[in-house]
Amino acid sequence: MDGLVIGMDLCNTYTHMSCRDPEKTWVIPTVVCKNKNRDEWYVDEEAYAHTLVGDGVMEDKLLTQVQKDGTATINDIRYEGLYLLKMFLEKALELPKKETGKEEIESLVIAIGSLDVKLMDSLMYCADYLKIDRSRVHIISHTESFLYYVMSQKREVWSNQVGMFDLSEESFRYYEMKIQRGMRQMQVVADSENLEEGFHLDVLETPAGAKLGDRILCSCADRLLQKRLFSSIVLTGKGFENTDWAPEFMRQICSRRRVFVENSLFSRGALMKAVDSLQERTSFAFTCICEGRLRSTVSVKVLNRDKEGQLVLAAAGDNWYEAKSTTQFIVAGSPEVEFSIVPLDPRKKKLVKISLDDFPKRPDRTTRISLSLGFTDEKTMIAVIRDLGFGELFPPTDKVIKQEVSL
Amino acid sequence: MSLIVCRQEPVKHPFYIERLGLHIASSQELCYVIYNNPLLALDGFVDERLIRFIREELDLTFLAGKLETWRQSEEEQDEMPVIILQECYYYTSREIAKFRQKIAAYRKMSRAEFMKETADYYFTLRQYGTAIHYYNRILEDWRIKSLTDEFTARIWNNIGAAYAGIFWFEKAMTAYDMSYNFQKNLDTLKRIYQLTLLNPELKLKERYMALLTAERKAAWEKELSDIKEKAADNEAVRKVEELFSRDPIRRKAESGALLAEWKREYRKML
Repeated sequence: MDGLVIGMDLCNTYTHMSCRDPEKTWVIPTVVCKNKNRDEWYVDEEAYAHTLVGDGVMEDKLLTQVQKDGTATINDIRYEGLYLLKMFLEKALELPKKETGKEEIESLVIAIGSLDVKLMDSLMYCADYLKIDRSRVHIISHTESFLYYVMSQKREVWSNQVGMFDLSEESFRYYEMKIQRGMRQMQVVADSENLEEGFHLDVLETPAGAKLGDRILCSCADRLLQKRLFSSIVLTGKGFENTDWAPEFMRQICSRRRVFVENSLFSRGALMKAVDSLQERTSFAFTCICEGRLRSTVSVKVLNRDKEGQLVLAAAGDNWYEAKSTTQFIVAGSPEVEFSIVPLDPRKKKLVKISLDDFPKRPDRTTRISLSLGFTDEKTMIAVIRDLGFGELFPPTDKVIKQEVSL
Repeated sequence: MSLIVCRQEPVKHPFYIERLGLHIASSQELCYVIYNNPLLALDGFVDERLIRFIREELDLTFLAGKLETWRQSEEEQDEMPVIILQECYYYTSREIAKFRQKIAAYRKMSRAEFMKETADYYFTLRQYGTAIHYYNRILEDWRIKSLTDEFTARIWNNIGAAYAGIFWFEKAMTAYDMSYNFQKNLDTLKRIYQLTLLNPELKLKERYMALLTAERKAAWEKELSDIKEKAADNEAVRKVEELFSRDPIRRKAESGALLAEWKREYRKML
């Protein structure tokens, strides 16, 4: 198969799409326009053209509309936020399709600022609508995208800590990642924080505003970087399309460090992951700990050939949205399911028991259960246990135990 | 506490165990049946049909192959249920060793004792017809001639109970009568008397009349009436009563299903 491999950074204001073969990035506003007279939808320049001519109605803040169940009424027809997002993605993906002449999407990784289950589910519905198999679609956080981008660079770029400032119209964020080399697999831990000092980019249009912006950035860099050792600092976001307005800040961060400016970093990081997901063996042989990835390993005690062991149901570093599993077990011993939750610091290991007392009393090992695990975020696991009985010997009941477990 | 991971077994056609009147659809259920019914397992349970089920439905080709080879060899056939337990990892090694000991203990029994165990086992499964068949084989087998009177009385007593279980009271009366011939047991006499209460057409033999004092009769009558009273309070009876309080359409459908179930159960008993 030789389809499109796309990394997408989907934000409320702009969407970046990076494509492999040919390597190209599209940056378009996250808006969609509906023709008033026909069932036609437009994005990018066409959307603005039709809106200016007056035969189109433009809708923006598409992600917020999906998250808040927003609707838009165009020509007496009410469109849900999800429908608008579908139309936007369909039209946006036509850009690389037209450019490359390829119709099929082989791998699509979408990076979003905040991993919200509703938005993630909606994006998966969009994939269904666009006839892209769910197995080819991955949703990651900006933090993870940053991590993939950095780890795909030369070793000297990431051998120590890496910091990144993201200044966009929406927010001002600081990201940081470091490598933890241990006995086992290498771990890459990345985190991010929203900086309260964020400002509107219009401020930079006046010399006084630019000077103020520079001072704000200097103070943030001073507080966040201190005198710590960084292999490199990355600048991204619309605010850093041009760095002339922040000379002091640039001088400060460039001292004894490599500094990179990459405006489409999140879509390029997503593209790295999209390419990697097509490989039989990953090129990123490390455990990734960041937003969107689990920070604890969840396992249950199992009995196998007379020996007790742990069966890992979800491991630290797994994508929590994709770490859904359903396994069937026979309950041996007391009627309960005991989860072992081991965070990165194994000393903080904890055991969580879910009692099966609500299920009928049966002889030992004659209750088959279906254990489904899912996560609503990286700290919350939902366990659903169904009673499957034991064939005709002990028929199943419709009893279901659902419990939220805090990791 | 721990869990046993269930392997994916693509069973489309569950295996019917006629003796137990149930279908099994997993290797765990198969092990459970074998472990809890060793006499069934020793009674030609592992046959070609079961091996085919293991191969085609449970997808345990290695185990099926092993059983096939074992079956064709001169090896001890009692080992086959043990092989199944060992390969399915549902029971621990200690439990399997216990099962093996149980089988060995059965095999150490005399032919009559073993046959009685088998018959008793079918009796507990309420398969009275099969139980009677095995009890009669003990009495008819020309090789078993050294039965004690006490043992023979027990066999006849059990035959009587089995016939009573399928409501064949005349045959039950004859069997209890035979039991009493071998051992003058007051319990047997009680059963004979209670049979006449259940079926007034049955007449007591002259020889029992003298033994039936008014006091004994009163006590046994009360015992039977207590049992009947307790049975009337049974869950199954309550279900039938509930059924008759429903609307006619549902009653008809449900009573049809219930009758079919009873017929099936009764046929299994015969």
